[in-house]
Amino acid sequence: MTSPVVVAGAGVICSLGAGIQEFEAALYSGATGIGHSVLLGGGAIAAEVRDFAPQKWLGSKGNRALDRSARLLCVAAHMALEGAGLATQDGTEGDPNIGLICATMFGGLHSIVSFDWSGLVDGPDYVNPMEFPNTVINSPAGQAAIKHRLRGVNSTICAGLASGLYALHYAAEFLRFGRAQVLLAGGVEELCEESFLGFRKTGAASPSGQARPFASGRDGTVVGEGSALWVLATEETAQARGLRPRLEIRGFGSAHDAAGIGDFQLSGKAATAAIEQALESAEIGPAQVSAIIAGASGSRAGDEMERRALRNVFQNRLREIPVCAPKAAIGETLGASGAFAALVGGMALARQNLPPTPGASEAADGLRLSPSAQPFEGSCVLVNAFSCDGNNASLVLRSWGDR
Amino acid sequence: MKRVVITGLGLISPVGSGRQPVWEALLEGKSGIGPVASFDTSLFPVHLGAEVKDFDARNYVRRQPVESMGRGSHLAIGAARLAVEDAGLDLAHYDRRRVGVSMGTTSGEPRLVEQYNDTRNARGLEAIDSAIFPQYPCHVIPSNIAIELDLHGPSLMIPTACAAGNYAIGYGMDLLRAGRADLMLAGGADAFSRITYMGFARLGAIAPDCCQPFDKNRKGMVPGEGAAVLVLEPLEAAQARGAKVYAEILGYGLSCDSHHMTAAHPQGDGAVRAMAMALRESGLRPDQVDYISAHGTGTLTNDRMETLAVRTLFGASSPHVPMSSIKSMLGHMMGAASAIEAAACAMALDTGFIPPTLNYQEADPDCEWDYVPNVARETHPRVALNNAYAFGGNNASLCLARCGEWTQ
Repeated sequence: MTSPVVVAGAGVICSLGAGIQEFEAALYSGATGIGHSVLLGGGAIAAEVRDFAPQKWLGSKGNRALDRSARLLCVAAHMALEGAGLATQDGTEGDPNIGLICATMFGGLHSIVSFDWSGLVDGPDYVNPMEFPNTVINSPAGQAAIKHRLRGVNSTICAGLASGLYALHYAAEFLRFGRAQVLLAGGVEELCEESFLGFRKTGAASPSGQARPFASGRDGTVVGEGSALWVLATEETAQARGLRPRLEIRGFGSAHDAAGIGDFQLSGKAATAAIEQALESAEIGPAQVSAIIAGASGSRAGDEMERRALRNVFQNRLREIPVCAPKAAIGETLGASGAFAALVGGMALARQNLPPTPGASEAADGLRLSPSAQPFEGSCVLVNAFSCDGNNASLVLRSWGDR
Repeated sequence: MKRVVITGLGLISPVGSGRQPVWEALLEGKSGIGPVASFDTSLFPVHLGAEVKDFDARNYVRRQPVESMGRGSHLAIGAARLAVEDAGLDLAHYDRRRVGVSMGTTSGEPRLVEQYNDTRNARGLEAIDSAIFPQYPCHVIPSNIAIELDLHGPSLMIPTACAAGNYAIGYGMDLLRAGRADLMLAGGADAFSRITYMGFARLGAIAPDCCQPFDKNRKGMVPGEGAAVLVLEPLEAAQARGAKVYAEILGYGLSCDSHHMTAAHPQGDGAVRAMAMALRESGLRPDQVDYISAHGTGTLTNDRMETLAVRTLFGASSPHVPMSSIKSMLGHMMGAASAIEAAACAMALDTGFIPPTLNYQEADPDCEWDYVPNVARETHPRVALNNAYAFGGNNASLCLARCGEWTQ
């Protein structure tokens, strides 16, 4: 059996706060980051990173060329590297064995739209060529590599709302194949007027501005933003580099509905397959899952699809398993959401305590959701990320030292 | 470790569609480059592009309305269907949950952004068609392939710009080796767009009259478009169904320059590391490589850097390993570029011919190497290395071999 892939650190910034401690404290207090967006204005409701000041972490130099996505990712990467003791000293070359795997859904959409708009309205001669690099989807990952001297493999992964989990799995496979020693892996998504307009115009956005996962009165999604990254290494490398393993990425599953773009498949067939595959690759059965981090966001169809998939797998035991839907607190962070869900799952395992789902009523829809934290005992957590375009992914996390 | 082979090639390019027509054009030195037709370039100082002509999406998109999706998806679906056909696959014989899609792109669906801005400019934000939003995120391209072909396995987009095809093909191999899938469609797709064109034009990177990689008088690249999809499967499965095997994929290497978003590392640091990793993973030494498919965009800096990187790894003394750039004929197909270049490597390994670098007239003292100038060459290569470099400093080299030549 190949060496297990372990989590040895994390960096996070989102509407609930910046840094693991701030994020964790807010999450367990039952706070929500959802509110009026300063960035979008016009009374828009979103889960925004308020008063974002990247220079607090990145210094004042070289941030101007970075768009919001790149700034969020660079900050999360800074915190992850610092926390794990891997930060590159100024003036040194950077480690060719440390890389970055970044999930996103819209990438720097605002940069792309602005670049094209400038050409359309002012003419091509007035377009700033310095802004062209921000139009490619791998720009945040490339910028973060430059900022933090990450010379190892650098990749960007897109699989819709499932992107974050796909990226974590991709990173784990790369470590097993020996293509890197240490990988920062997770995702980033920025709030922008263009994706926000899309959510509003397609009817996916909650008209009430409330994210109420699984609630019977739910009316849609509230868009959020942020970046969450883990520091991953194989057990062997972690040991050799003096990294401290906190938990293990134990299993992954993915399945596609192949039915249509823009609609959740209510049967939950592929979502069920993703969960089953994740359990199988973790070599556990449904009975060993002690808690669930749901991908539910308040979407009418999406949450129902997830409930059915969970029901298919866990059957009557489902009502006994505590569930947390972190999108009630941090909004729908799209391509980053899987990374956020995994981060929350890891915290829950370490504390043996599942964070609250703000606004949840007890036993909503036959699920054990709670507005308060839910203590549990066990070593395996299931994390879901299901997307309306057919992509479904699930991840199994396991406590370290409990094998 | 499972051996992974290429058994189908689906190509949609500026020199034509389908494996055989494209391959013949490349060996004959045909160019797909011409004046841009899809939008007005009169405000630009340059006018050349490499667009896909004579492509009708209605021939390929069957399960969804053609107009429901962007051109990136159209090209990708076309290439995927051609690949499946070329491989002689009957998908009905597969467990669909074990068939996946891994694609690469630079811009995904940039024309939907253009549509967004055109409508916003003419009629305001509220007039924008809501249907374009769900089709914009780039992972929708592999999802659309999955929907068209009814594939239920892993599906993802790796948008690592101009190196994306190699990333996606490499990861397709990974998923097969890890036992996550029985069959993978892997490649890249990109649609021609004014956004990409404007960006390269403003960087002064577009050639005014012709694309001539490695030539002393080269003046830049030519933006292009297209799609290439490869059918990947384990060797035993290919043998069991009596499939034609074009080539085996031995391994790949990735690195990041961590230097500059658009300019390559001047010493080719990342390029050398990616090639070295690909060879290490393939269990090969540099002297066992018979053909290098260059990234070779035709810009001053890329071609100089790539030559330097190759000289660093392979040594400066001749005879040199033949290296050519088919971008001289296809233009730069962006996220599809390294995918179609990987397909060309497979064809070279299968047929024994290596395609030329077109428009090579005058040697550059800064680029001294055997670039296979202007005429295809019969060399019977056994091992090929496919280089790709991208914005963000993302480098990827893929190592392929004639099937049966190497057992790991």
